[in-house]
Amino acid sequence: MILIAGTVPIKGLPLVVGRVQVEAEALVIGGYRIPAAQGTAAMTSAACVTGDYLRLASPQVVLAGDIGDGGGSREVYEYLIKNVASLGPTVLALHYCLPDMTLMRRLCRAVKDCRRRPLLIADAGAMYAAKAAGLAPEFSVFTPDASELAFLADREATHPAYVSRHLFCAEAARTPALIVYAYRQHSAPRVLLVKGATDYIALDGDIVATVTEPDVPELEAIGGTGDTITGLLTAFADAGLELAGAALVAAKANRTAGRFAQATPATRVSQIISQFPAVFVEHLGRWSQSCALRSAL
Amino acid sequence: MTEGSRDKTEAPFEGGGLVLFPVVRQAIEAERVLREAGYRARLVSPPVQLRKGCDLAVEVNLAEKPGIERCLEQTGIDYLGLEPLKTGTSPLLEVVTVTDFGGWLMVRAGNMKLTFDKESGQIVNTSGGGCPDIPYLHAELVGRPLAKAPRPRETGFTLCALMLERALEEGLIIWKGGERRDTDCRHGSD
Repeated sequence: MILIAGTVPIKGLPLVVGRVQVEAEALVIGGYRIPAAQGTAAMTSAACVTGDYLRLASPQVVLAGDIGDGGGSREVYEYLIKNVASLGPTVLALHYCLPDMTLMRRLCRAVKDCRRRPLLIADAGAMYAAKAAGLAPEFSVFTPDASELAFLADREATHPAYVSRHLFCAEAARTPALIVYAYRQHSAPRVLLVKGATDYIALDGDIVATVTEPDVPELEAIGGTGDTITGLLTAFADAGLELAGAALVAAKANRTAGRFAQATPATRVSQIISQFPAVFVEHLGRWSQSCALRSAL
Repeated sequence: MTEGSRDKTEAPFEGGGLVLFPVVRQAIEAERVLREAGYRARLVSPPVQLRKGCDLAVEVNLAEKPGIERCLEQTGIDYLGLEPLKTGTSPLLEVVTVTDFGGWLMVRAGNMKLTFDKESGQIVNTSGGGCPDIPYLHAELVGRPLAKAPRPRETGFTLCALMLERALEEGLIIWKGGERRDTDCRHGSD
C-alpha cells in the first residue's frame, strides 16, 4: 500500500486521512476537492493516475492544509509518528512540509516499529529535513533537482537557501561529482534521482543511468513537474519495479508527457499529468521490460 | 503543546537557527512571543563563536526565518540577527540566474524559479522549493502581473519564500528595463 504524506495550500483544511481519487484535475478525499497543482497534490495525482493504469490500489494519503506557518505540517508528522506502524505501508512517500529535524527524527524512529520496513521516498521539505537531521541513509529514494543536489552535497547546509556558492554554481558537468560528495558525507539515500537537463540515477553511490531524451527544457519552469516525477516513481516502486528502474521509467515518462503536451513555460502541471496514460500506452511496456532485464543482469 | 510539556523521552528540539539579542530580557520575551505565535522556540546559551549581545539566545527552526523575523518585528522585539546554528554554514544565497525561453524569462534564485511573459509581464509559473508556503504562493502569483503580485516576503513564512521573493525582485528589475545585478554564477565566490 502506498502512503503519501504532505501538506496542501488550503488554509484551515484539517488533517484528512484515507484513500484518494482523481476527478477532473482535482484530488477527491473525505468530501474535499483539492486542485492538482504544484506540490503534494501534483505528486499524489501523478501517483494516482499511474496506479490506475497499473491497476494498483489507490494511494492512502495523510494531508493537511498549511500555507507556511507549519501547523498542518506538524499535524501530518504527529499523525504519522503515532500511526505509521499500524498503517504498515509498503511505500511511504513524504513530501511538502515544514522541514523539521526533530519531528523527522521521531518519524524515522517510528518507522522502525513497522513490522515490515516500507520503502521511504522523500522530496521537497521532507527531503530537506531528512538531510539536515543526518537521516538520509535511512531513506530509499530522494528526488532532488540541481540546486537541491548542491544542498545534499554541502555538509553544513540545513536548507537549500544556505548552500555554498561554489556548489550551487557547479556546472552541469560536475553533477556526478556532487553526487559523489552527497554519498560520501552520508547525505544521500540508497537511490538518488537528480532532475535536470540530464537526469541522473545513482544507486549506492554509483551512477547507473542517465536520461536526456526527449529534451523538454520548458519542464523546469512548470511548477509541479518535479513533484510528478516523485509520484510516478512512487507508483512504479509499489508496482514492484526495482528502485533504480522505477526512477529511470519515471524520468522518461515525465519528459515524454512534456513532449506529448507540447509544453511551454506557461503550461500547467495538470496538462502534463493528463498525458501520462497516453505515454504509458505507447512506451511503458518497452521501458519496464528493459528495467526488468537491467535488474536481472 | 509547549516545549515544556513535551514527553521527556522525545528527541530534543533541533531548529538549526539562533536568534541573538542585545539583552537577556528581550530573549526571554521573544521565546514567549514566538511560542504564542505557534513557533517552536527554546532558550539556549549561544556557542562562543556566534555570541554577540547577551549570553542568552533563542533556538528556532531556521527554515522559518522570514516568518519569525516578521513576528519579532511586529511585536517590537529588538534582536541582533537570526543565524544558522552550524558555524560552517555558508551565507544566505544571493545568486540569481536567468534563462531565456523566447517569449518567457525564467529567473532562478537559489532553489526557486519564477517565469514571466516577456511581453505582458504576467507571471506564468513558479517552480522549485519544498516548504509548505510554496504551493500557496504558486497559486497566489501565477496569472498576476509582476508589478501587482503579492510579495512572498509579506505573505510567506519560510526560506523558500525568501528565495522566491528574490526571484520576483529580479524579475521586476528586468521587466522595468533595469540593469541586472551582478549576482549570477560568473561573479564572486564564497
